[in-house]
Amino acid sequence: MRNKRGSLAIALAAALVVLAGAPVFSDGIYAAAAAASAQDDWKKEFEDICSKTQDSMSFTPDELKSLVGRCDALKPRIEKLEETQRKVYLKRLQMCRDLLAFVLESKTGK
Amino acid sequence: MKKSFFLFLIILVCSGVALAQTGTKKKRPLDFEYGRVVLNNYSEKAGFAPAVFNHWLHRAKFTCRLCHVDIGFAMRAGATDIKATDNMSGYYCGTCHNGKTLFSGSGKVFEACSKKLSAEDGRRCERCHSLGRNVKPEYEFAHFTAKFPKERFGNGINWEQAEATGAIKLVDFLEGVSIKRPALAIQKDMSIDAKMEGIPAIIFSHKKHTVWNGCELCHPEIFIGVKKGTTKYSMVEIFEGKYCGACHGKVAFPTIDCQRCHTRQVVGSEKPM
Repeated sequence: MRNKRGSLAIALAAALVVLAGAPVFSDGIYAAAAAASAQDDWKKEFEDICSKTQDSMSFTPDELKSLVGRCDALKPRIEKLEETQRKVYLKRLQMCRDLLAFVLESKTGK
Repeated sequence: MKKSFFLFLIILVCSGVALAQTGTKKKRPLDFEYGRVVLNNYSEKAGFAPAVFNHWLHRAKFTCRLCHVDIGFAMRAGATDIKATDNMSGYYCGTCHNGKTLFSGSGKVFEACSKKLSAEDGRRCERCHSLGRNVKPEYEFAHFTAKFPKERFGNGINWEQAEATGAIKLVDFLEGVSIKRPALAIQKDMSIDAKMEGIPAIIFSHKKHTVWNGCELCHPEIFIGVKKGTTKYSMVEIFEGKYCGACHGKVAFPTIDCQRCHTRQVVGSEKPM
């Protein structure tokens, strides 16, 4: 019984600490984690789109249009990166987009 | 009168010979200079000699695609606008040249640029910033390429054969830099008719080119035409560095080696090319 009460008290104390600490963390660790997640997001999206260039010939015009659209949507996010990363990934994204648009053009004849 | 005419003739002949020697004839680079790129956007301004990049050493280890697509080097010298800080951040040369990367047979790859310089670092800087400096290279061209298959032009190496026979094994993927992709489906070879009568047609091999370049290195930046026959290639433009000339004549075998491309036998001709 004593043990149970003790455990309950510890659990309550821990919950209070977490609840009270949340606003403090949100400006620090949580913000950093969110930034890291956003950082990963653009790269995941970039890799997902550009991994498809090798078999771009097998996509339908609609699929290619969608991929080109995703490239265009991703560009402003890459433009916000620091100078070197921006320079490298904007060029890589451009090459990837150009190829997809090229294949789309070859399929639609436009 | 005769004497002065004779003297005039001698002067005319001598000046003709002298002028012929100082014409605009382009010097053919030596084997180890072929494909050399000199980068000097910022080097001299920062007190360093211009950086010298040797394609022969790098193309023996990596595909063109890895550097020009995944790492992001432009296809024109100086157009990448590389700064020392880019290398320090682990991009461009610093992708591999970071003092940590290991390649088989090479050990750790030396660091390209670093924020702090020690007294010994001067030598390290000179490994790239070497134009006009008497720097002993780590790899010597003749020794390095001694066992590679040979050809007549360029730097005397048949790189395509070197890759096909396994004399070189090209790295096409760098962890953390390259994107995992499915293997590229092999495209069919195609023929391009020559404009001049009697010149054999070109057999263009997508397979040979994609081993080194993938797709996006050539399309659409270099070859924009989507349908066969829409782009009218001319040898003048190619010699000026357009189309095939973006690589052939600079790094890949030069376009004066006609028979490497114009391979299809002309109808009616008995001699295969």
